[in-house]
Amino acid sequence: MRDIGKLGGLLLLITTIAATALAGIYNVTKPRIEAQKALELDRALTIALPAAPREAIFPVQANDDILYYVGYKTPEKKELIGYAFVSHGPGYSSLIETMVGVDSLGAILGMKVLNQVETPGLGTKVEETRHGEGEPWFTQQFLRKPAGQLAVDKDGGDIQSITGATISSRAVVKSVVAAYEKLLADRVKQD
Amino acid sequence: MDKKYFVSSSPHIYTQDSIPKIMYTVILTLVPAGIGSVYFFGLRTLWIMAIAIVSAVAAEAIVQRMMKRPVTVYDGSAILTGLLLAYNVAPSVPLWLPAVGSVFAIAVGKMVFGGLGYNPMNPALLGRAFLLASWPAHMTIFSGAVPRGGTVSGIDAITNATPLNVLKAAQDVLQHPQDFSPAQKMEASEAIGQLYDSIEDLFLGRIGGCIGETSVVLLLIGAAFLMYRRYIGWKVPFTYVGTVALLTWIFGGADGLFTGNPIFHVLSGGLILGAFYMATDMVTSPVTVGGRIYFGIGCGVITVVIRLYGGYPEGVSYSILLMNLLTPLLDRWTRPKVFGGKKKA
Amino acid sequence: MSVTSEFTKGLYKQNPVFKQALGLCPTLAVSNSVESALGMGVAVTFVLLCSNSIISLIRKIVPAKIRIPIYIVVIATFVTIVDLSMAGFLPALHKTLGIFVPLIVVNCIILGRAEAYAGKNNIGLSIIDGLGMGIGFTMALLLLGTIREFMGNGSFMGIPVMGPAFEPVLIMILPPGAFLTIGFVLGFFNWLENKRAK
Repeated sequence: MRDIGKLGGLLLLITTIAATALAGIYNVTKPRIEAQKALELDRALTIALPAAPREAIFPVQANDDILYYVGYKTPEKKELIGYAFVSHGPGYSSLIETMVGVDSLGAILGMKVLNQVETPGLGTKVEETRHGEGEPWFTQQFLRKPAGQLAVDKDGGDIQSITGATISSRAVVKSVVAAYEKLLADRVKQD
Repeated sequence: MDKKYFVSSSPHIYTQDSIPKIMYTVILTLVPAGIGSVYFFGLRTLWIMAIAIVSAVAAEAIVQRMMKRPVTVYDGSAILTGLLLAYNVAPSVPLWLPAVGSVFAIAVGKMVFGGLGYNPMNPALLGRAFLLASWPAHMTIFSGAVPRGGTVSGIDAITNATPLNVLKAAQDVLQHPQDFSPAQKMEASEAIGQLYDSIEDLFLGRIGGCIGETSVVLLLIGAAFLMYRRYIGWKVPFTYVGTVALLTWIFGGADGLFTGNPIFHVLSGGLILGAFYMATDMVTSPVTVGGRIYFGIGCGVITVVIRLYGGYPEGVSYSILLMNLLTPLLDRWTRPKVFGGKKKA
Repeated sequence: MSVTSEFTKGLYKQNPVFKQALGLCPTLAVSNSVESALGMGVAVTFVLLCSNSIISLIRKIVPAKIRIPIYIVVIATFVTIVDLSMAGFLPALHKTLGIFVPLIVVNCIILGRAEAYAGKNNIGLSIIDGLGMGIGFTMALLLLGTIREFMGNGSFMGIPVMGPAFEPVLIMILPPGAFLTIGFVLGFFNWLENKRAK
């Protein structure tokens, strides 16, 4: 028992050194990590609302939560282009997150899958870009379609589902529909 | 040196049946179902069977050469594995698929563990599981195989899915009523009604499915002969099918407990083929009486859980594979008391 | 005990994955593509190098009774450094490796080398040992990653190499493929060893 003080002191010393080192590293990397996150958001917003410059897209917040984004043609908030929102729905093995842009009538302007950990080779095709093509083919089908009435082909809609990954395809479609309905409700509230 | 007296340990009672005799008998009893599949799905199925068998035998011979063991391809076990694997793929698969599956079944499912008698799981089913995980699109699309005189699903309007696929989709609609329109719900319950009316098609095999699994009547003819010769026991298949029937009757209906259709569930999918030909595999199923009964019940429970609540429409192959892995434990758990031995304290 | 042999033992003779069967969790989990295998290998090598040298430096002042907590603190510190820097500078790789970067803390190769080697040897040798083991681990991951990505996706480093007619063996990039591959690779090395012994 005598050396418990000595051992404890040594452990304290080591952990203090480790904590100090980590605090330093954290301070160095924090701005980089945040910049990366902002960059990712910028990229997603540019895809969702291609006609709106990044500085003309403004978040609409309620209690610190971003409900959706509004995009205009110019940073002075002239000429509304549309809204962008994040949707998520449970896929086969993960929560699939997408950024979706719609115009004021609800037609989809652009979309991008932000996060998914679906089955490799099947569900991951929600963001697959076929060799030689510039854009992911699955989300490309959504363009110009009304966000409120999407459905996969198996449910009578016109979104061609991914072979062998109906659950993932349906998850994306349903989450977009649900998030769009939420956007409509939020817009009523904001007005 | 005119006479040798051998001293050997038990068992001292032998039958005249040898491995080749049993294997070739089993293969022979599978022939009616094979002829049935050629009738229903066309000559292509014959090619698939031939390719699966030839690659299984070739794989066994090559691996045994490589391992410097005696080549035992004439005992018929590789032929049986190849044939069962062919029975477990859709009639429309590309021809290389059964070949790859057979090689995997023999090389990884059997030879890696030491050959016939040492494999923990049924090699043909392992081959099927490998194919299903590797090429799910080929293994789950049946639209290219319309049986003669019938439809893939047993329903005229639906041409691209097997009865169990249709049932799964329809049940999905009925279980999530808020996500679907009234018309879709009507359609779903109508589909289930039509499925339950297609019992005759299911019994004869006039529906879509894997090559050898669809014709219940032809499989049962073969199985009856095997039972008569006592090559397969009644315990595993009967408890298996019985459990599936009981559980689907209790839980399978859309209108609450005890409204399911057990006959539909027993006749559809690969249950009959699995219960009589693959769950009864001598190497991978328990030897004790109790073990066999638990084995059959376990297979039945897992099959029903997958069919009714799982992501796949059919669960026979996975249920048998899982129970194969439990076989040593079941045998140990149900070991009969040694005659004259002490009771457990 | 020459310096060269201290380095090369980690590459083959005592390869952490193939010979010691250590660190199998990340080996199985992130070897489904060459890119993530390489990322994981480099991350582990860095942590191993740093933890080995620090632990070797402080080995004389660390009492035997509390050496494990101290080793873990040192290792966890370096893992967090790797995690944060990867998130800042290589976000795509960080997203692919996900939870397996923080899990390097419990990778038994690192604590194993600290306990078995760095705690008993001087800093120079410890660095060489860490480098050898790290490179051995990276090579093992690369081998598995190459086999699995090639068979399961028909590509190498994301570049298709098999042409459009190839239908990839999907199971190889799924978890069962990891077990199948490592089983066959371990079997191959055992066979090689047996053949040599004869």
